[in-house]
Amino acid sequence: MNQVEPWVVLSFSSIIFMIGFTGILIRKNILVILMCIELMLNAVNLTFVTYSTLLQDMAGQMSVFFIITVAAAESAVGLALVIAMFRTLRSVSTEEIQLLRE
Amino acid sequence: MESLTTIRPELLTLSSEQFSALMPYFWVFGATVLAILAAVMRSLSPKWPVITVVLTGLVGAIVSVAGLLGKEPVALFNGMMVSDNYTHFFSLIFLISGVVTVFASIRYLDNEAMQHPEYYLLVLFSALGMMLMASSLNLIVIFIALELMSLAVYILVGYRRTDRRSNEAAVKYFVLGSGASAVLLYGAALLYGSTGSIGIRGILDFVRANPAALSPTFTLGAWLVIIGFLFKVAAVPFHMWMPDVYEGAPTPVTGFMATGLKAAAFAAFLRVFVSTGYGAGLTTAIQTHLHDILWMSAVLTMLFGNLVALTQTNLKRMLAYSSIAHTGYLLVGMIAGPHSEQGYAPLMTYLVAYAVMNLGAFVVLSILATRDDGGLNLHDFSGLSRRHPWLAFAMAVFLFSLAGIPPTAGFAAKYILFYSAVQANEILLVVISVLCSAISVYYYLRVLVYMYMRDPVGTQTRSPVSVWSAIAVAAMVAATLQIGVMPARVVYAAKKAITSI
Repeated sequence: MNQVEPWVVLSFSSIIFMIGFTGILIRKNILVILMCIELMLNAVNLTFVTYSTLLQDMAGQMSVFFIITVAAAESAVGLALVIAMFRTLRSVSTEEIQLLRE
Repeated sequence: MESLTTIRPELLTLSSEQFSALMPYFWVFGATVLAILAAVMRSLSPKWPVITVVLTGLVGAIVSVAGLLGKEPVALFNGMMVSDNYTHFFSLIFLISGVVTVFASIRYLDNEAMQHPEYYLLVLFSALGMMLMASSLNLIVIFIALELMSLAVYILVGYRRTDRRSNEAAVKYFVLGSGASAVLLYGAALLYGSTGSIGIRGILDFVRANPAALSPTFTLGAWLVIIGFLFKVAAVPFHMWMPDVYEGAPTPVTGFMATGLKAAAFAAFLRVFVSTGYGAGLTTAIQTHLHDILWMSAVLTMLFGNLVALTQTNLKRMLAYSSIAHTGYLLVGMIAGPHSEQGYAPLMTYLVAYAVMNLGAFVVLSILATRDDGGLNLHDFSGLSRRHPWLAFAMAVFLFSLAGIPPTAGFAAKYILFYSAVQANEILLVVISVLCSAISVYYYLRVLVYMYMRDPVGTQTRSPVSVWSAIAVAAMVAATLQIGVMPARVVYAAKKAITSI
């Protein structure tokens, strides 16, 4: 049976992480930015499980559970904040956020 | 993976030392649970019961931390957490800033007509996260504590939810903050992959054992973790969120963020920093690299914070930039730490002094803030000494302290900090820091000029001072002067704390 090489998975997860990171910097829609944050956290999860298998160590897989939980809490808070902002701003675009500039 | 098949019984029970070491956390956590119950009970108005429960929890935690001071370190949860003097030192900062924030918020929320019990709960949750952050020895626990703290603060920043500035600040902080947390976490994953351990002690053991065999993965992971922390403490070039967030957040929350959050970030940063072997085990190439980067960051942070603060007319925003500048001074302490005889004790002393004076200044601002956080511009302060002689005096003490003028805490802490940097042979850095604090005198004392030497502008009403805020301000003035006159006790406590790591 063909096994996937660890470096393939690690590069894959680093690419996903970079996509998420770039997304935060360049996308204008806050909902998309929230998705990018999730993408970054899931890339980390993938990295953890890969290393966990590589090192034959359980700690990495345990970490994933905690990260998933925290990510869920984070998106709940994030969506709530976006809704609150939408109510006063009538928009979810970062271009509208300009009240607090120097 | 065989170790999972046998359960080690000592992991399932708590010894009595471990139990008493966990008491502060039980107090805070128990108070959050009780406060949630008190908040949803329809039969009573939620305000006072919740405040009582929250304050009881915080004060109970302070008392139990005080009882633990000086005891031997206790390892908790299979070495994932530790309760040592370092933890207690920082826990006291967090808990006291929590109490002061609650005191300052009571009247402030009445003014804003937003007296909801969640507010106090979130302060408590955030304080719990900070305490966990100062005690964790594991990168995953640090991440969870960081998120516990930050998620509560994201909501607090957006607490005035009908105000556009508050919403924008919250969303901005959320996006950048969780991005930075994710970067930190990715760094943690890489460190785990390259060292085989997620605990910072295990990482240090690995580094000590193979100082030459550090892979690029390790270096990248370490950098990502450091970047994550630099973001949390708002050092240049990761500072851009800070002024906006500080301005948009409700004023007492800004005070809480400027002190508690920054102290928590530094607490975890320092522990990871010391534990990943800065000044101990890393190869010299990485050491000089790290030193240079921190050096640049410290200089830029101090220059940027102080220079931009000069042009600010809103006091909240000015204090935000000054807070960036203070991060710069704290980084100086971090650079000097491994090479001076005092170690990191000056940095921790500075954190205490900074927390005290900044909390005080923000309590004064919360008293003076009018509805929707107005009335915090410089000209609103003109003639303050006539309307509020005592508040003006307190604000003057805090501003003198922030500027670093004796006999206040700010002077003593700055003196000790810069002295340790001189010992570490960082003369150029000290010169730059001193020049920067000379710049800062201008914008701090400008407020003083407005308060004491200008006539009041327009019709300004005397804002009522609640007894709670008055207590908080008086306590902070006393602490500022006390640390300023007799800093030795704090330095001693800081020294004991840092040696226990």
